[in-house]
Amino acid sequence: MSKPNLRALSKMDFLKVVPTRKQKIGEAAAKPLPPLNAYKANELAAALHPKCQHLKVEEVLDRTADVRSYILTADAGNGTEKPAYFSAGQYLSITLNIGDSVITRPYSLSSSPKESLEGRYMLTVKRTEGGLASHFILDTWGAGTKVLASAPLGEFTYEPLRDAGHIVGLAGGSGITPFRSLAKAIADGDEDADLTLLYGCRSEADAVFQDEFREIAASCDRFRLVNVLSDEPAEGCEKGFITADLIKKYAPAGEEYSVFICGPQAMYDFVDKELASLGLRRKFIRHELFGEYRNPSKDAAYPGAAADDFELTVRMCDEVTKMRCSVDETLLVAMERNGIAAPSRCRSGSCGWCHSRLISGDVYVPASVDGRRMADMDYGYVHPCCTFPLSDIVLDVPPAQP
Amino acid sequence: MENRFDVIVVGAGNAGLVAAATTAKNGLNTLLLEKHNLPGGCATSFCRGRFEFEPSLHELASVGTAEHPDTVYKIFDGLGAKIDWRYEHNMFRAIVKGEGGYDVTLKSGVETFCDSMEQAVPGCRDSVHALFDLVQKCNDALAYITKMKGKPNGLTMMLKHGDFMRAASHSVEDVMKALGIPEKARDIICTYWGYLGVPTDELNAMHFLNMLNTYVVDGAAMPYKRSHELSLSLAKVILDSGGQVWYNSEVTKFLYDDAGAVCGVVVNGRELYANEVISNVIPHNVFNMSDQKKIPETDLKLANAREFGISVATVYLGMDCTMEELGIDDYTVFVMGDANPRKQYENRDKDGIYIVNCLNKVIPDSSPEGTCTLFFTIPIFGSDLPDDLKPEGYKKYKNEIAYKYIDDYEKLTGISIRPHIEEISVATPVTFARYLGTPEGTIYGYMLSGWDNLLSRISCEKDEYTIPGLSFCGGHAFRGDGYSSAYVTGDTVGKRVVKRAKGAK
Repeated sequence: MSKPNLRALSKMDFLKVVPTRKQKIGEAAAKPLPPLNAYKANELAAALHPKCQHLKVEEVLDRTADVRSYILTADAGNGTEKPAYFSAGQYLSITLNIGDSVITRPYSLSSSPKESLEGRYMLTVKRTEGGLASHFILDTWGAGTKVLASAPLGEFTYEPLRDAGHIVGLAGGSGITPFRSLAKAIADGDEDADLTLLYGCRSEADAVFQDEFREIAASCDRFRLVNVLSDEPAEGCEKGFITADLIKKYAPAGEEYSVFICGPQAMYDFVDKELASLGLRRKFIRHELFGEYRNPSKDAAYPGAAADDFELTVRMCDEVTKMRCSVDETLLVAMERNGIAAPSRCRSGSCGWCHSRLISGDVYVPASVDGRRMADMDYGYVHPCCTFPLSDIVLDVPPAQP
Repeated sequence: MENRFDVIVVGAGNAGLVAAATTAKNGLNTLLLEKHNLPGGCATSFCRGRFEFEPSLHELASVGTAEHPDTVYKIFDGLGAKIDWRYEHNMFRAIVKGEGGYDVTLKSGVETFCDSMEQAVPGCRDSVHALFDLVQKCNDALAYITKMKGKPNGLTMMLKHGDFMRAASHSVEDVMKALGIPEKARDIICTYWGYLGVPTDELNAMHFLNMLNTYVVDGAAMPYKRSHELSLSLAKVILDSGGQVWYNSEVTKFLYDDAGAVCGVVVNGRELYANEVISNVIPHNVFNMSDQKKIPETDLKLANAREFGISVATVYLGMDCTMEELGIDDYTVFVMGDANPRKQYENRDKDGIYIVNCLNKVIPDSSPEGTCTLFFTIPIFGSDLPDDLKPEGYKKYKNEIAYKYIDDYEKLTGISIRPHIEEISVATPVTFARYLGTPEGTIYGYMLSGWDNLLSRISCEKDEYTIPGLSFCGGHAFRGDGYSSAYVTGDTVGKRVVKRAKGAK
């Protein structure tokens, strides 16, 4: 065999490299470039993940004494042509201007994905004791109210390659909202799963969406609702709490199932203990966001703080603002109270949208909601939505968008 | 409020970070603007459940070690950016399905690599070894060209560096055929085309050989805490040097002065000015944010002449068992429907080529104890998306991709994946269009093929993108795509700006 050599190739081709390039460029048109949305991938990205959505309240539906649903449509006058499509179980982060504060709240979409194609979303809001946002919404939103929302967000969705084909939904109180969306998505044929929904509430009068759930169950044999009432017995309902025995009673026999849980913290605490006795694999238990973390000083790991409140210095681009931050409020809440438009979405430590740099100071981040990336710890980044001050703090915060 | 800076860098991708770190470290008042809330562009990480996923990096080339630092190591080290590097010494396992298929694992180190090639294709050793001799010849030629400050003597080139001229102006396939490398051996080595997104019959040989050589000689490196570690480490250099990084700060306009020079940008509704603007943003987008009258005709023609580089579909899996329990023993596996790279490229959205990585092989504790992660990569273009794909069909589309490749890999290897998926996330060119904002979701800027190959870019770099006050760095720039090339362009452009600033003073 002859020794390998390159003689067969012309080295003179080397001299053509530059002239060829110049010729190709010379032959091209000098026309303006297409806008980004002319490309399929970019057009889809913009449709699925708009930077924000300008919506307006079309209709208000009274559900119970303290729960209302709001039908939202696109506010074309402000630049949103139609509501973005989503996956059942996702939420919108709503921006609210209350007095001098700018706050956000995540609300699960209770409408189905198909309804968004028809031009509308539904959010369902329950008045919570001592709640700021829920009172504001229930007291001030009416037909025509303009609402600034994020794109649909969140991971509390059915994933066919991950989840079992049968979902046992555990809803507590207002945690029912994403399940209305999921039940309808299943009935619409947009999700290929079965849903058995155990809905925990105090009384039948507190249970929302009952007519709609009955209607879905009547037309679709893949959905079943069981009301679980804690305070009073009622016909066709279970009495008590969502226990392991109750889950076993309604879960499909002899087949794997996924448990989706959405409700208040107290419900997670209770249900998680019950689930432990069922021996389900971790992958088959999924929680919706935990919500705002409260009472950090009750944690065993809480190191204690030397004062009741501290100075919080916020640097946003080149603007510096100083304020007080109480030890039992998160850095995010302190900023919002002081009218700083800081970024936030899930408010549960997990989405990372509020990612900010701790320039100086000591903080407490409860381990159960510490959703930071590993390198964040090394380089001093925090998620202000679940970070509490233990000293004076200097924080570098990006501006909220939009 | 300060509205004037020495340097504004637009985009905190790999190159933007290095450029800003370089100018800040050299005393220039530097502002880095990033539209997202995190630095890095592709070089980041994301969390699902108890897993933190590496979104894009497969293998970082040209790193080297403290004892034998290569380009990337030197850039980070020179800036004072500390990285916990982890190394992978196997190159890859290549599986070609069907009749005439093969299953070959290649190891790094020139002699070991040639041994494993000889084992796979008896009789090919000498011709394969000649590839590495050619790399040496190319390096000698490049050293000479550098010594001559880019103006080599033509006769010396012809007499002494003919093989470099051949390698630099022909495709990988042409060069390998001329060296007498048998077809099967060519196919195995060319498996790496998947990392450059250009099939080897139009990929510049010098470019490919350079990449092959760095992987074979040094192996590949990965940061311990995902690419987010790389990006935060570079951001720290900027901040420690007195520079600023503004996140959630999207540039919406490039400002030009009367003489046609870029003099600033509009960000967050504010006009900010600088002596030099460095764009990590692809020229297409910069031109669309510019007064059209200010764009030189040749720059516009160049943009119009170019094709966008490849994008990918990726499937990230968090598994509720270990890689040992799954029976996985490789970091990188390429799976191909046909041995021929051109066919792999043409069938890319059918049965062309995909890559499966298991990071736990390189970084055992990259996921919680008792778990592991898998990362599927399928090279496709944004323009490969189905024409009739609508938002309401997108989730199904993503799951069909995931299902197809997971199912294929299960059937091929007998490994049972689906029952163990605890977390899943699927990205497509739509995802990259969303996060990077590049046309068609290209992750590699412009296609590095044919006339727009690496050599032609480098040769013509000084004549292109001539707007005063504006420089470009990134995967779309003169060194082509990939983390290491982006870092190199950030380094080069940053240093040029520093030199000009010092000259002006």
